[in-house]
Amino acid sequence: MPAPSALRARAAVVRALREWLWGMGFIEIEAPALVRSAALEEHLEALAVDSGAPERWLHTSPEFAMKRVLAAGLPRVFSLGPCFRGEERGPHHAAEFTMIEWYRVGCDYRGIMDDLVALLGAAAAAAGRSLPEVEHLTVAEAYRRHSGRSADADPIEAARTWVNDVELKLTAPTIVRDYPASEAAFAAIRGDVAERFELYWEGVELANAFTELLDPSELAERWSKNNLARVAEGRAPHPVDHRLIEAVGRHPRCGGIALGVDRLVMVLLGVDDIRDVRVGG
Amino acid sequence: MGSNYQTSEFRNGLKVLVDGNPYVMTYFQFVKPGKGTAFTRTKLKNLITGNVIERTYRTGESLEAADCEDRNMQYLYHDGEQYQFMDLETFEQLGMAPDMMDGGESFLTEELQVMITMFNSRPVGMTLPNFVEDTIDYTEPGVRGNTAQGATKPATLTCGATVQVPLFIEQGEAIRVDTRTKSYVGRVKE
Repeated sequence: MPAPSALRARAAVVRALREWLWGMGFIEIEAPALVRSAALEEHLEALAVDSGAPERWLHTSPEFAMKRVLAAGLPRVFSLGPCFRGEERGPHHAAEFTMIEWYRVGCDYRGIMDDLVALLGAAAAAAGRSLPEVEHLTVAEAYRRHSGRSADADPIEAARTWVNDVELKLTAPTIVRDYPASEAAFAAIRGDVAERFELYWEGVELANAFTELLDPSELAERWSKNNLARVAEGRAPHPVDHRLIEAVGRHPRCGGIALGVDRLVMVLLGVDDIRDVRVGG
Repeated sequence: MGSNYQTSEFRNGLKVLVDGNPYVMTYFQFVKPGKGTAFTRTKLKNLITGNVIERTYRTGESLEAADCEDRNMQYLYHDGEQYQFMDLETFEQLGMAPDMMDGGESFLTEELQVMITMFNSRPVGMTLPNFVEDTIDYTEPGVRGNTAQGATKPATLTCGATVQVPLFIEQGEAIRVDTRTKSYVGRVKE
């Protein structure tokens, strides 16, 4: 059980997140946790719910529902609540964790960066801290600065270098942008990079954001490619959500972001175990 | 022999072989950089030398299990160099040098039951019971009227260990200590 002081600080941070978003005109959406399609990415595992046929899962993020809401005509929306992921264990992971996502119509990932820096300032203030200067790096710059060389052409070796030599050196709050196009997920592609960024702080990954993809056939293609890779590894494919594909073709140009609330509180309080900042199930 | 631990089975306390040497896992952290495959970052402590190494394993990679055996033993006495224990199954006596004991030797009291980890017939580690009880041999008198929350003072136990205790605890009292964190848990109720 977290210390009472940690639970108080957490509540203050969560309240500050909500108030900042409400103040900027974002509408809170209660995204469904029980879904018929839970993930797009190859390396993401959803928890199945044993409720008979048809099969249902607990959502891995509110993203699918949020995009349908954007397509329905709301320009600024957010969701703050529990998400669920399997196979992720250790001091920075819990099967149930809290995530905040927000989407803003009429901007790309740069608009979301501005939102994020302002929101982090509000969250830090709620925890009695001030926000250090936020650094901005491209993925390529992060590799060169911290590992002394460019990313390996082999994605697995590149990832290993990231884990061993780069990630832990991102101690200042750092926005790392422009991922390889092969790691786009829901991001729009510009040249050979995905318009996607992550936030690191104290060596911990806190958030992931995109200039959201607007091309439904491109999304369907990525989904099927990921599912083929999953099947080849002996994993079940993720069911495709056709309502989402249709929504991606209709919602306006926008940016969106998912921020791990537990980890943000951990970093703000200087603790290294998620179980010290959230009540366990 | 030859059994392996997958990354999904990693946990603190796992005994593994790296380059033929036995290690115990003291830390593991699942990380999934970008949107790609997952890795587990670990810290491994050499059971013989105490050196700590950091290694990263990709999901799907595995570590060979170290063929270690945990045996229940009773502490007998200190012979000046080594701590002597008796195996509670075979009644064999075994001596262990303090450099394998990670400071835990200061909590040993006669007849205390501990777990000794053996690798290739050599003792390589000792695990104390999670909680031990002992009386306070010496501590400064508490300052009357000091009600500061969380204030502590050092207390030396009969076994030789020193732990931080609340100011109201007096010399001669019996207390309960968590040996994993070397911290005071509470008074022993009479």
